[in-house]
Amino acid sequence: MRLADALRAARAAGRPIVVPYVMVDRSRARSLGRTVEALREGGANALELGFPFSDPIADGPVLEAAASRALRNRTGWRDLLAALRVTSELLPTAVMTYANPVWQEGLGPGLAELSRAGASGLIVPDLSLEESPAFRTESQRAGLSLVLLAAPGSGAARVQEIARASRGFLYVVSRYGTTGAATGRHASIDLRTIVRTAHDAAPSLPVLVGFGVRDRPSAARALASGADGVIVGTALEEMIRRKASPARITRWLRSIASAPRGRSESRAS
Amino acid sequence: MARRFGPYGGAYVPETLVPALVELESAWNFARRDPKFRSELRRLSETLGGRPTPLYFARNFTRRGRGAKVWLKREDLVHGGAHKFNNALGQGLLAARMGKPRLIAETGAGQHGVATAMIGAALGLETTIYMGEVDTIRQKPNVERMQLLGATVVPVRSGSRTLKDAINAALRDWIANVRTTHYLLGSAVGPHPFPSMVAEFQSVIGREIRDQSRRAFGRLPDLVVACVGGGSNAIGTFRPFLHSSVELLGVEAGGRRGSHGAASLTRGRPGILHGSYSYVLQDREGQVAETESVSAGLDYAGVGPEHAFLKDSGRVRYVSVSDSGAVRAFHWLAEDEGILPALEPAHALYAALREAKGRPAQENIVVTLSGRGDKDLEVVLGASR
Repeated sequence: MRLADALRAARAAGRPIVVPYVMVDRSRARSLGRTVEALREGGANALELGFPFSDPIADGPVLEAAASRALRNRTGWRDLLAALRVTSELLPTAVMTYANPVWQEGLGPGLAELSRAGASGLIVPDLSLEESPAFRTESQRAGLSLVLLAAPGSGAARVQEIARASRGFLYVVSRYGTTGAATGRHASIDLRTIVRTAHDAAPSLPVLVGFGVRDRPSAARALASGADGVIVGTALEEMIRRKASPARITRWLRSIASAPRGRSESRAS
Repeated sequence: MARRFGPYGGAYVPETLVPALVELESAWNFARRDPKFRSELRRLSETLGGRPTPLYFARNFTRRGRGAKVWLKREDLVHGGAHKFNNALGQGLLAARMGKPRLIAETGAGQHGVATAMIGAALGLETTIYMGEVDTIRQKPNVERMQLLGATVVPVRSGSRTLKDAINAALRDWIANVRTTHYLLGSAVGPHPFPSMVAEFQSVIGREIRDQSRRAFGRLPDLVVACVGGGSNAIGTFRPFLHSSVELLGVEAGGRRGSHGAASLTRGRPGILHGSYSYVLQDREGQVAETESVSAGLDYAGVGPEHAFLKDSGRVRYVSVSDSGAVRAFHWLAEDEGILPALEPAHALYAALREAKGRPAQENIVVTLSGRGDKDLEVVLGASR
């Protein structure tokens, strides 16, 4: 199934949506299928497939190190295409990478190639709404849902605009900071306002929260905002790095996928 | 204010930074028209910074070339020893206006870090400087200066451990602390509005050259030369001449012979790095290349988007000079004029002398001597051994 349909269906079923992030790394090519099967078994609704970039400014130390390692292992565009052929058979897959690697493939041809290899979505963390028109046009042409990101400081009008322009789902960055890293000086923000604003602006678009979600308690906190689901990346990368067994990955993801959700369970803050 | 220069520029940044960039642009738009801001900037440029800097006729260096006259725009005499002060002061005042109590900055050679630390101290702002670990070693005196000025210096150990990685680290800090922190970006690179804003703060260099040339030799120079890393001293030098017939030459770091050095404009191709679309040294798949230059300040895979536009339009000619050319020019200027240039403008000096040789004596070449060379003694002495 394609990303947008899968997430809409999952949302309609009323369970929290879970989208794990896995980085393509040539040295892990053989185990990728097993990892993704374990994630599917654990309740993943879709997959974010990361393609490494040399200067990942939105990523914290864990994913940055993973990207450096992947590049040292000579991971390239064709490894991404090969990985897509594997993962998209198991889960709807969105590619996550920075603007330059996609741009260098030639935006139109590059995105068409991703689509042919099985991708159904694209997430570009350094693509602001202002710079997104060309990416939106070409994604649509290639049949990819271009997922946009909203962040704590975005403001209501901007969240609305981003939600209306986003396809597949809306990626809400949970806090000021990079992926996985320690929070900044202002740790907690109330996500509820952002999530509600997005839901009002684009009622049929699932809203997923990422950055800092790593286990059941943090997933429950994210879901308490009224979000439809969560994205988990850094914690999974750490498990894969520690060579966690597929069974372990499944158990871990299942605990997240069964986290309580809903507005009524919002913690006091 | 221009968001793009032709196709180049823009703001390719995580959404978290967009509100800060919008806030910065509007603060800057207001400040640049505010007589109070402008007079404060002018006052501190003069009384703290030592502006205007002289335009010096390098008689002996000219003799070495046996051609056109070579004049030096003495940005090495600015407070702190480099042109970086001009931009650090402007942005520091802006940060204070926006009520941000904390400054962060990246630095390569350490000159921008020193300038930011000085401004942070003078304006009472907490200051943190990110510096690639390789650079903290080769530019150690500047690390010590920053620390004495009260700044925290954070060595960056990721990637090539040079300027590019220091920018990554500073951007990550900014993402985490954007509400209390101003990122005092040191070159005319990065997302809009930095390239335009930094260029405007540095344009004081070109404006002074214009006025001083008229006084010194009765007309505009025939050729103006500046070194280009990110390109802030060069764009500040060039901007006031863009609509004149003055020839403009930007000089990039060619590194060791046979390497791509750090010459983004002459050996790179357009791409997206650190928030803007410009020329980037990168591999076939868009992974940013690790650069190599004897001068830490030019050791950067990207370049300001306005330079990319000026290259394509042909208005500015860009060339590269190798490490060894720069070191030779360093010695020439030291021996001929008693001035130790920083290795960054030493690249420009080498190219200027090459140009001077082929030109008649009545022509005037102005080179922006963007910084002084005390920080480079160890590198130069090492290279000469």
